[in-house]
Amino acid sequence: MKDNQNLVEMKNIYKYFGTVTALRNVDFQVKNKEILGLVGDNGAGKSTLIKILTGVFPPDQGEIFFEGKKIKLAFPKNARDLGIETVYQNLALIDLMSISRNFFLGREPVKHLAGVVSVLDKKKIENVTKTVLKDIGINVRSVDEEVSILSGGERQSVAIGRAIHFGAKLLVLDEPTAALSIKESHKVLNYVLEAKKRGLSVIFITHNIYHVYSVADRFTILEHGEKLGDFRKDEVCTDDLIEVIRTGKKIEKKNNK
Amino acid sequence: MNDRNHFGLWVVKHFRQHPEFGALAGLIVVFIGFSFTATRFISADSFAGIANIASELGIMAAGVTFLMISGEFDLSVGSVFGFSAMLFAIASANGIPLLFGLLLALLAAGCIGFLNGYITVHFQIPSFITTLGALMLWRGVLLAITGGFPVRFRGESLVLETLNGHLWGEFRASVIWFFAIILVLNFILLRTRYGNATYATGGNKDAARLLGISVERIKIGNFIMCSMMAGFAGCIQFARFCSVDPVRGQNMELEAIAAVVVGGTLMTGGYGNLVGTLLGVLLIGMLRSGLVMAGAPAYWYQAFVGLILIIAVILNTYIKRWSLK
Repeated sequence: MKDNQNLVEMKNIYKYFGTVTALRNVDFQVKNKEILGLVGDNGAGKSTLIKILTGVFPPDQGEIFFEGKKIKLAFPKNARDLGIETVYQNLALIDLMSISRNFFLGREPVKHLAGVVSVLDKKKIENVTKTVLKDIGINVRSVDEEVSILSGGERQSVAIGRAIHFGAKLLVLDEPTAALSIKESHKVLNYVLEAKKRGLSVIFITHNIYHVYSVADRFTILEHGEKLGDFRKDEVCTDDLIEVIRTGKKIEKKNNK
Repeated sequence: MNDRNHFGLWVVKHFRQHPEFGALAGLIVVFIGFSFTATRFISADSFAGIANIASELGIMAAGVTFLMISGEFDLSVGSVFGFSAMLFAIASANGIPLLFGLLLALLAAGCIGFLNGYITVHFQIPSFITTLGALMLWRGVLLAITGGFPVRFRGESLVLETLNGHLWGEFRASVIWFFAIILVLNFILLRTRYGNATYATGGNKDAARLLGISVERIKIGNFIMCSMMAGFAGCIQFARFCSVDPVRGQNMELEAIAAVVVGGTLMTGGYGNLVGTLLGVLLIGMLRSGLVMAGAPAYWYQAFVGLILIIAVILNTYIKRWSLK
């Protein structure tokens, strides 16, 4: 598949919550091997759009295409099966479970005892987790330790590593650098680039224009449930983006390509 | 120095991964205490007495543990215990084959569990309320259909022998059932996908749902299983006494919950195991017969269980917090 083709295309998306219109006629595309920054102020509709794309709830109107095929998503599992992997800010991992169990949660490898009883393949779970994390440069003391001992950045990293390993085609990151230290943010941004290098497309949702600007190829700006525009990185600078979000007005595209 | 650090890490890690530690410590302390104060505490008959009490409570507590790990609560297990036992007794007394009566009792328990689960999940109300309602409802039904009178079954049966016959000395078959159930459920919890999903559901149901786990199905499944365990425990006790009175199992739900919590399972879900529950139940069984043997009036039993419960929870919370530092 060519790089400039759309991996995801959402057309004319509407979503209502009671009398509130959360999304109004939003068109949204992500190309292959592209890091897309999805930006906008609180309540702009970023999360709603992403939840539709990841199968948390359906749109009231509109169509979704993935790899050119029209899809319907009833459950998060449907999206996950297609290769859409989401890393939520506070919901990426389960604190009280071990790193390796978190890594395989929902798709644990099993082996069969006496041909009938399927049990978790613990060796595989631990070994694969260990290798994969090491492979993408994440160091943890031991994969059977609970996630609660990890720092915020380490958690994001483990979740991103998990997505890469399971062959996700699209990685959705919801505020991946919120509440992280500068060092840790930097690490997470590197994993985002690593994901792209391995052929994934990434949707990066954030408030932090500086973080997303350093890695993204393109930006989509939402405001009050409507799209204000799509911009390639060479069309805007960080100040332009902030200005658009702050004022809610479209800007003239620069033509300096 | 490096070695000691390493050892320290090892200790901390094992405290964190073994919620049953507090119950084990408590069990040892209580055991030593009674072996000095209670006459004939260390004897086969005394151990059998403890095991027999612990087994019936323990089968119920095993189900409660599983459900609690998935983040829900069942207060109705005492009523289900009585209800199933009564159904089994009435069926048997009316000439229905015992195996059939047993299956009927388990099926009824499963249905009650399904209702508890479905109502809790579908209407999104706290299981504390759903099952408090179920506790009163099924106890009320039980009292109403029996008019408050006990039901007896006279006769021998292989089914009753298998459920709770004499095994060796005073030890009864319920001990085997109890250990088998603990083993099987612990295996399911730690070694299967269902167990993993149970931990995830209790640990963080929103995250689990986003990872593709059917949280609702897991919860309802555990409600059914929990209720069936309570029903089975009731049937086992019926096999011991060959009679059931309509208040059978009253307050047992609280004892079961106490045992589970003493065993280190978190009431908020996501953490715990059945080995802890095994130890918690043994601790409670030991208290009950130990206090009698030590000559304390029976009333003290409840007071002691209460005390142990509070101490155990403080200890477990403290250990958990400390090990996570």
